[in-house]
Order: sequence, then C-alpha cells, then structure tokens
Amino acid sequence: MRRGESLRFWFVIALLVGLQFSVRSHLGDERIAPDFLLLALLTYTIRSRPGQSAAAGFIVGLISDALTPASFGAGALAHTIVGYLSSWAKAVFFADNLLVNGGLFFAGTWLRNAILVLASGKFSGQQLTWELFVWSPLEGVTTAFAGIAMLVIFRSWLAVRMGES
Amino acid sequence: MALGADRYATRGDTFVFVVTLALSLVAMSLPPTSRDPIASSLRRTVLWPFLQLQSRSDQLRTSRAAYVEVEAQRDSATLAAGELSEIRAENNRLRALLGLGTRLGSGFVPAEVLHQAAPTDPLTVVISAGSKRGVRPLAPVVAPEGLLGIVSHTEDATSVVATWANPEFRASGMASDGSVFGILAPHDSKGGVWLLEMSGVPYRTHVPFGTRILTSGLGGVLPRGIAIGTVVGSAGETEWDRTYLVRPAVPPGAVTHVMVLTNARNEDLRATFAPDSTKAQP
Repeated sequence: MRRGESLRFWFVIALLVGLQFSVRSHLGDERIAPDFLLLALLTYTIRSRPGQSAAAGFIVGLISDALTPASFGAGALAHTIVGYLSSWAKAVFFADNLLVNGGLFFAGTWLRNAILVLASGKFSGQQLTWELFVWSPLEGVTTAFAGIAMLVIFRSWLAVRMGES
Repeated sequence: MALGADRYATRGDTFVFVVTLALSLVAMSLPPTSRDPIASSLRRTVLWPFLQLQSRSDQLRTSRAAYVEVEAQRDSATLAAGELSEIRAENNRLRALLGLGTRLGSGFVPAEVLHQAAPTDPLTVVISAGSKRGVRPLAPVVAPEGLLGIVSHTEDATSVVATWANPEFRASGMASDGSVFGILAPHDSKGGVWLLEMSGVPYRTHVPFGTRILTSGLGGVLPRGIAIGTVVGSAGETEWDRTYLVRPAVPPGAVTHVMVLTNARNEDLRATFAPDSTKAQP
C-alpha cells in the first residue's frame, strides 16, 4: 500500500471510530443504531490478512468489553471470530462489489451480536429470540447502510485490491 | 475474483487466530477481581479521550434540547409579559416543575449515560461521573422516574453501573404503602420488554396490578423509597409465596441522564419519587 493510500485508509478508520463516540448516540434507538466501531473493523478486514484481522478483532472486542463489563471477554471472542471470518470470506468469495460488501457488513454485525449474546450467557428465552431475530438484524441493516454510504463516499480511497495485503 | 482459502489464510494467520481466540476465552473466564482492573485501566487510558468525546457529544445534544426549550419559554414569557398575574402563575408553575435535583437537595452527582453498541449494554452502563466527583461503589443511580441501578466500579472520571437488568441485581422492595415486601430480581422478558420479578411475597398477601414498588431500605445499600416499577402481572406461586412481575420505571437502554445519590443511604425518599412529583418533571 502506498503511503498516500495508507493515510487515506487510516483517516477513514479514524473517522468511523470518531463517529462511534460522537454521532451514534444521536441516531435513535441504541439497539439498532449503526455500529461504526464494528464497521471500522470490517473495513480493515477487507484489505488485511485473516491473522491481522483476528488480532484487530481481539483488540476492538477488548475495548468493547471494557465499556460493557457485563460480558467481559465475550466481545473479544465475537470480534475475533468475525474479524477472521470476514477477512477469510472476503478472500475466498468476494468481488469488489458494493452490495456484497453491504452483505458482509450485515452478516458481520449479526454474527458478532449472536456470538456475543450466546457467549455472555446473560440472555435466555424470549430475550434471546428478540435479540437474535429482531434487534440484531435491524442493527445489521443500519450498519450495512452506513457501510455502503461510507464506501460510496470514500470509494476511491478504499479501493480494495486482493493482492495488496 | 475468487481466491483459494489456502492461498490467503496461512499457518501464521491460523496461529494468530487460535491465540487470540484462546486469549478471549481466558478473558471470559477471569473472575471479576481480575477483569475489573483490566477494564478499568482501558477506560482510564486508551478509551479516556473517546469517553470524553462521547460525554461532550451527549452534553451538546442536551444543550441543543435546552436551547429549544429556553427559546420556547422565552416566547411564552413574551406573550405572558402583558399581564403580571400571568407571569406570577408561570413562575409558580415553573417552580412546581423544578426537577428531581431540587427535590433531592445536595446529595447527588448528575451524569450522562454513555451507551455502547453491544447487546449487553443495558446490563452495565458507563456514566460520565467518577470518584473525583464523589461517586462511590454501591451508590444508587436514579433517573427522575426511579432506580436505574447501583454503581459497581468507579474511576476518576467515569463509573460503571450495574443496572436492574443485570442478572446479579437484587433489591429489597415494598409496595408503596409499605404493606408488602419482597426481593426484586431481573425476569426473562416478554416480547423484548425487560421486566423484574418480585419474589418472596407471602402467599396470603395479594398485590393488585398497578401497585407501585419502591425500595424498602432493608439491607443498607439502597435508601427507602426509590421507585422501582409497577406490578403488571403474576409470575407464579408456590405453597408459601407468590412472585409478581414488575415493569421497571426506568428503561436502561433509553435513559440518557442520571443522578448518583452520594449521601442517601439512610434517607427516606418516598416523597421525592412520589407519582405527582415524577409527573411534574419539566
């Protein structure tokens, strides 16, 4: 990756992290507002190796756990798995396509939440059902839309080339 | 373009994945005494600027809302300025609408709730007030409508609150008239709505639906009289006791501003959380 490209890429990642802590709370219901931190992770995984993505997922998860200590460790586990799978799946299946990337953002968000609620062991019965089949898909949709908007706006900056990593 | 998995995920990648997976499992198995310092140090170092950013952002949102409210009040005042009696009446009304803070006196610390994206966010929330402002562990955290939870951990500038939705939450509750006592704990939800259950109510005692439940003050952690919720149904009974479902007064996912009670352990707050005073919130 050239230096200019690298700077632009990290600018977008930093922007997403900034949005998570400044704008997200203004976007309505916390359960379905887009998760910009996860979006930053998934954006990173698109152009990184699975090992790097797993490590990045672990760090993001640990940070997430520090902010919601009820499930300490579960966030790290969920983000690690999502980071690795996202990077691996991107390499195996994906073309550089807007809708496919949107699908990746949706699936990544849903899978992260599913692993998180199952691993934390704090949800059961109808709570679990609602979280898995209502709130998580809705959050996945909003995150996917936010991700697609980001890709449209910064498409030239985030051009994904498989061989680069 | 499709690439083979073996080309992309090398042994090194798999090794890193397995190591981070193992570290995650280790983190999950840590006891609270070990994981709390780790989480706390992350919040005090790496996350500190981000939490400050989130706190400022929430304050900005509040400022905008307050600005709109002040504008509306100014317009109302302009209209009312023609008659002094109108202004007096308005003044009296605004005095009646003074918030929870006024009723509580001085033993509280206001704070913003810094919500996060994780589904487990309603179980424990981070608030923007810490030990520097007098927040101590086990301090009750309330919203104008009632109890949100208890401070479980403090740092200089932030604190972690275990809400009533946390599986480890327990509180001694009573009916608002003091006739019935029971133990409150989280209950499995119905349709995504998080409820509490009040168990240990003597079998011979019937609690009408709609009864307000307050903290009883027993146990010495929560002061007497903080609103917890309203009885909405029966969850079951044994030969000895009944269990009732309680709809909590404060939804932890939606609350944005709270007050930490710093010196209320032995007080009786029933008047503060009386239904009329709650309705009188501006």
